[in-house]
Amino acid sequence: MATFDVVKRDAPKARPALSKFSWAWLGVLPFFLFAFMFLIYPSSTIALGSFQDTKTHTFTFQNFAHLLQSPSLIASYWISIKISLITSIGGGIFGFLLAYSAIRGGLPRFMRSSLMTFCGVASNFAGVPLAFAFITLLSPSGVLTGWLKAMGYNPYFHGFQLYNFWGLSIVYMYFQFPLMVLVIAPAIDGLRKEWLEAAENLGASSFQYWRYVAFPILLPAILGTMILLFGNSFGAFATAQALTGGAINLVTIVIGSQLRGDVLGDAGLGYALASGMVVVMVIAITGYTLLQRQTERWLR
Amino acid sequence: MKRGGLVWSWFWMILGILYFFLPLLATFLFSLRAIKGVLSFKAYQNLFVTTDFVTNFSYSLVWAIFTIVVGILIFVPTAYWVRLRVPQFRTAVEFVTLLPFVIPGIVFVFGLVRTFSHPPFLIVNSPALLIAAYTVLSMPYMYRSIDTGLRAIDVQTLTEAAQSLGAGWETILFRIILPNIRVAILNGAFLSFAIVMGEYILAQYLAKPAFAPYMAYLIQQKAYEPAALAVISFALTWGCLGIIQLVGRGSQQAQIAGGH
Amino acid sequence: MTHLKLTNISKEYGGTTVVQDFNLDVEQGEFVSFLGPSGCGKTTTLRMVAGFEKPTSGTITINGQDITNIAPNQRNVGMIFQAYALFPNMTVAQNIGFGMQIHKESKGAIKERVNEMLALINLEKHANKYPFQLSGGQQQRVALARALANRPQVLLLDEPLSALDAKIRVQLRSEIRAIQKKMGITAIFVTHDQEEALSISDRIVVMYEGRIEQVGTPFEVYNFPNTRFVANFVGSLNTADAEVVDPVKGLLSMDGIHFESAEGTKDRKKGDKIKIAIRPERFGFASEQKKANVVDSTIENITFLGSVVRIQLKIGNTKFNMDTFNNPFLELPKIGAIEQVTCSREAVLVLDE
Ligand SMILES: Nc1ncnc2c1ncn2[C@@H]1O[C@H](COP(=O)(O)OP(=O)(O)O)[C@@H](O)[C@H]1O
Ligand SMILES: [Mg+2]
Repeated sequence: MATFDVVKRDAPKARPALSKFSWAWLGVLPFFLFAFMFLIYPSSTIALGSFQDTKTHTFTFQNFAHLLQSPSLIASYWISIKISLITSIGGGIFGFLLAYSAIRGGLPRFMRSSLMTFCGVASNFAGVPLAFAFITLLSPSGVLTGWLKAMGYNPYFHGFQLYNFWGLSIVYMYFQFPLMVLVIAPAIDGLRKEWLEAAENLGASSFQYWRYVAFPILLPAILGTMILLFGNSFGAFATAQALTGGAINLVTIVIGSQLRGDVLGDAGLGYALASGMVVVMVIAITGYTLLQRQTERWLR
Repeated sequence: MKRGGLVWSWFWMILGILYFFLPLLATFLFSLRAIKGVLSFKAYQNLFVTTDFVTNFSYSLVWAIFTIVVGILIFVPTAYWVRLRVPQFRTAVEFVTLLPFVIPGIVFVFGLVRTFSHPPFLIVNSPALLIAAYTVLSMPYMYRSIDTGLRAIDVQTLTEAAQSLGAGWETILFRIILPNIRVAILNGAFLSFAIVMGEYILAQYLAKPAFAPYMAYLIQQKAYEPAALAVISFALTWGCLGIIQLVGRGSQQAQIAGGH
Repeated sequence: MTHLKLTNISKEYGGTTVVQDFNLDVEQGEFVSFLGPSGCGKTTTLRMVAGFEKPTSGTITINGQDITNIAPNQRNVGMIFQAYALFPNMTVAQNIGFGMQIHKESKGAIKERVNEMLALINLEKHANKYPFQLSGGQQQRVALARALANRPQVLLLDEPLSALDAKIRVQLRSEIRAIQKKMGITAIFVTHDQEEALSISDRIVVMYEGRIEQVGTPFEVYNFPNTRFVANFVGSLNTADAEVVDPVKGLLSMDGIHFESAEGTKDRKKGDKIKIAIRPERFGFASEQKKANVVDSTIENITFLGSVVRIQLKIGNTKFNMDTFNNPFLELPKIGAIEQVTCSREAVLVLDE
């Protein structure tokens, strides 16, 4: 693992060459042993498994080749990516507007702290109870559905479905937009009043200030946080499982079934599927980190 | 902000508030309907009387407590040692603590099951594996919390001051460092608590009794009791984050965003 | 010719008056400083000129045109902020060209002006850097160029140097002054640092609690302070209680020790309680030529301040500071010694109780 390369390379630097060898690094050994045993080793089992022939245990790219040849697995990636894109962009825009309204929108001050508290709770309120809350709200016999019916509008006559892609998107939004609010709020706080004044002073209208100053400054933070939301939704499992009972073709759901009983009929394929997820997550988190770094340079 | 802006601000806020509260309100109202025609707390009563809620909830409590203890035992000395003696490991340690972010829960449990269900490590049925896994899951929050706490106090100076006064290692760690990062540890502990109490995937796939899988099971069996459970679960999340804000006086932002 | 004119300006925030009865005429090309302690309303006044605050009453005109109610983005008044306020997402060149870009000027014209400005502030090499890659002093120079690139009618500077190191501060302030002179632009410079105000201004407006205390050249404000506040705030000052003994001769008594003052006791009566004020550097050790104000003093302490040596002495029961220029051949008295010190009649200022 890369991590251990870093450790090995760094270890000799622990002491200057003159002094005698130090045992100080032993202090972090328990941590690395723990992390290796329960995080890195199990994860690398999957990574290795995806490059191994199930029967012969020899090195192979076959698993990935099979993955690419399976329309239903490709579809599962596509659906996972689609739902993550939609909920990260939708949740990102909504969360940004909310955060901006609360921080710079001229609302009473307590609105801001209340919003932050709500978002802290909502971004953590996910999985089974969340799915159930939306079932009681929006299922055919749900509370809101009932109210809407009473008003003469049955959403189920207009193509609405809770247990499909769009229904799941609505549920995901519940933890997506609060996360956006929490992560983007410091960036909005970082917009300094002087920038608006300097822009006005140089002749810019409010729109021009937005167009040329505020928006470009916030853009990396907005994009970065949306990427974070993407990852947040891409790895989600419990909510989708509880809401659809596993009937939706997401990568996480497929991996869940594969884990319960080899539904793919090919262990290597399961590993490849899971490795693919990690690759997507690594790309997402790297993108987030880079954009976040850019934001910090600007807003410090 | 101009008048039009203010109207929009209210519009978005109200939309957000509706999105936030409607599902909760619906669930709460639904949970009160266990007796036809009247609103009652019957569903909540049933939870305690006719279901295994208490048992499963207690299991989750035990997992959470063990997770917190193990987490503190591993991460406090590590973070302290990294700050004090081996700063060259900082990047590596931080990198490892953030790994759980890039490994989705389902992939993580997949790896655990495959790794620990055959020799040399046949421990897939041991509760220890579940607790270790929970500890990994809460690691980013626990470690970051503790590290933030350590940064706020000047570890180096405090330690040297204590040493110059003749304090030994236990004294330094337990009488000086720990009390000074109490708030940070509490913060991390409550985040871990919230994570474990709401976690579904690990307990489900490592086949251990716990709160969230039990709720998923109950949804298949009953109508009103799961609603009551959802309300309790929500209150629990709110309670944890409330306590974090209270002890941290709002200085630390609480967010978990895991286990969805 | 009056260029910028503030007439009867006052500003209230929810009932508290923070600026009142502010009247000021600024000539074309003049460099005027607002000097006063923190919270005295300097920034507020400046922001009213820039248009960020509306005066509660009064008018502001530039070149005879009333701008009191014109939006800030229509005023063409350049503003420099204490914290630079450069746009972090733009390079130095883009920052400087921002105003012209907003005014839809041609690319060529923008480029030409930007280069001219870069040359003016000596940062040609840094045109494509971002603000976070520059030092504080460089950033403030870019802010100056950005404001000047718009060819503003008036330049407003709100404590532009207070975030900088002492060395850079001194260097940049003379740079600002040189550029302002070269471009012949009217400038208002806010500061709470009296040395800064004294060193670069054509005129200084000394403010206290929202009011103008005195307007004058640095020479006037320093040497002939109108009020006790000005005397105290501008330069350092020894003050002591005294009373008028002979209004015509300007004879004053401080606990029985007599001082003669060249100014302002004619409108007072014998026995009036007043304050005398003497600047530390106006004291000297008595030599035979000096006749007036020779008094005995006890040397209490001697502090070496670099170019100046500060001697603390006691005259009667009152402590005074005396400053003398340092030189290697200076013969300093012993602590505890009794020495005669003196100051001229002009050095003794009379302030109201
Ligand atoms: N927006 C505002 N609301 C209320 N009071 C203000 C506001 N801005 C400034 N003040 C008050 O006006 C007074 C003058 O402030 P300011 O002009 O910033 O002083 P200076 O720049 O001389 O330090 C201060 O007492 C300040 O508290
Ligand atoms: Mg000010």
